[in-house]
Amino acid sequence: MRRMSKACWPSRRTELVLLLACGSLLGGCASIGPKPWQHDLMAQPAMSVSAYPLQTAIDDHIYFSKEASSGGRSFAGGGCGCN
Amino acid sequence: MSRLRGLVATAATGLLASVQGHAQDSAVDGPSSDVPTTNIDAALLFYHENGRVQAIEPDLDLTQQIGDNSILSMGFTVDSVSGPTPLGAVPSDLPQNYIRPYRIIPTGTQVTVTTASGGSVVKLIPPASGATTQTLSATSTVPPNTYPLDPTFADRRIAGHVGWEQALTSTFKIDSTVSYSKEHDYRSESVDVNLSKDFNSHNTTLSGGINYESDLSFPIGGTPTPYTQMSGVWKGPDATRSETDAVLGLTQVMTRRWITSLSYSYSRSNGYENDPYKIISVVDPVSGEPISQLYENRPDFRRTQSIFLDNKVHLDHDIVDLSLRGYEDDWGVKSVTAELRYRYQLSPSYYLEPDLRYYRQGAADFFHYYLVGGAALPQYASADTRLAAFQARTYGLKFGVVMGDGSELSIRVEYYGQYGNGFPSYAIGQLRQQNLFPDLTAATVLLGYSYAF
Repeated sequence: MRRMSKACWPSRRTELVLLLACGSLLGGCASIGPKPWQHDLMAQPAMSVSAYPLQTAIDDHIYFSKEASSGGRSFAGGGCGCN
Repeated sequence: MSRLRGLVATAATGLLASVQGHAQDSAVDGPSSDVPTTNIDAALLFYHENGRVQAIEPDLDLTQQIGDNSILSMGFTVDSVSGPTPLGAVPSDLPQNYIRPYRIIPTGTQVTVTTASGGSVVKLIPPASGATTQTLSATSTVPPNTYPLDPTFADRRIAGHVGWEQALTSTFKIDSTVSYSKEHDYRSESVDVNLSKDFNSHNTTLSGGINYESDLSFPIGGTPTPYTQMSGVWKGPDATRSETDAVLGLTQVMTRRWITSLSYSYSRSNGYENDPYKIISVVDPVSGEPISQLYENRPDFRRTQSIFLDNKVHLDHDIVDLSLRGYEDDWGVKSVTAELRYRYQLSPSYYLEPDLRYYRQGAADFFHYYLVGGAALPQYASADTRLAAFQARTYGLKFGVVMGDGSELSIRVEYYGQYGNGFPSYAIGQLRQQNLFPDLTAATVLLGYSYAF
């Protein structure tokens, strides 16, 4: 047996609903957001979604080594984490 | 009049910003003379656990814009980790001896029995009849009522990556990164490819990526067969593992002040998922005394999925960043993570950023503090407390200096605490008096330097 029985993964119907929700969300995005000349605050480096990527990667590697969960923000990254 | 001037200034700055580009912008617009084309990002991490592992890790990342539409990136990391680490075994009110193989030598080599790192004692395992090699093993004694740690752990990791980003149009780009990581007992190679497309005047970015990773495990002492007795004998051959990950992301600039990012990640891995150094105690059903120590046995297949939501809000001077993550896998682990950062802008050049992180996970289905002697072994079992139920909290404070020449210097200190249930109600015999999950606390100091020119 390669798979634990308790797995709870989205059913095909749930996947379809999620897909439709994402599509609607994307469509809805067209009407929100500032005008190009209102991007002054967003242009600041600290407002970038990945403002400090190196520090984030370091944090993620520490948590990857100490906790059962990893990834989410980006790919989990390699290594043994055997300590 | 002054209000009109302010509006004009805001509009002018915004227009300039939209040309210069943000996270969502593309390089196809071309670099203007005052836009940095080279970024250096360096960090030095000091990590120290209470009575356990400590590490030092220097990191260096470089990005270089090539022409108008391409960015080359590369990074390099070295870390040295050493210190006692949990074996997985339960404590006892009696002394306990542990043994692990650590080197193969030709038969007949003169060996001086001595004290190895961490106070363990080197022992020569008699060679099998006709064998040309024999094994050196380290034995260590854990005092009564002490949480068993392996004192011999030490590792060094070297990791690097090279990436290329190509803007195909002003709203569409592709990037790929090749990564390599090598430890003295583990090697990991991976390649990822990501696509991103901007919509809605760069206010919306849809992204997707896949990553493939191939790992090779070659533990010190060989790869143990799960559920075999811990011993000083050299174990089996190298073991492999592969992993495929996919990430879908949506980033939306909601207002002039607010940006939000939502991503869904999925991964599946096959192969050797054990920690080759971890054992699990089999205890007497009445006294709770360990009667044997077996190598752990995890499934050879894992699927994980997570949802990550990040929100940043600009408050004219300060910035609030709140991220949330939900995670689950088919090992039965479920977790939630919340992280809050508040960047308090002391002046245009100085900022202070406190951060809080809360993490809570449920145990894997096959996590057991110990197994009970006389009962059938479960299909899988691990006593690695990283798979136990626990909470963790991080408190941090960062101080940064943004200099006018495009460089930034920062120092961050953090305190991490991990707290589980060390006294489960079902504990047997002497185990009722033992702490099966001592708190893990760690302090980190992170120095950062970046320079864009």
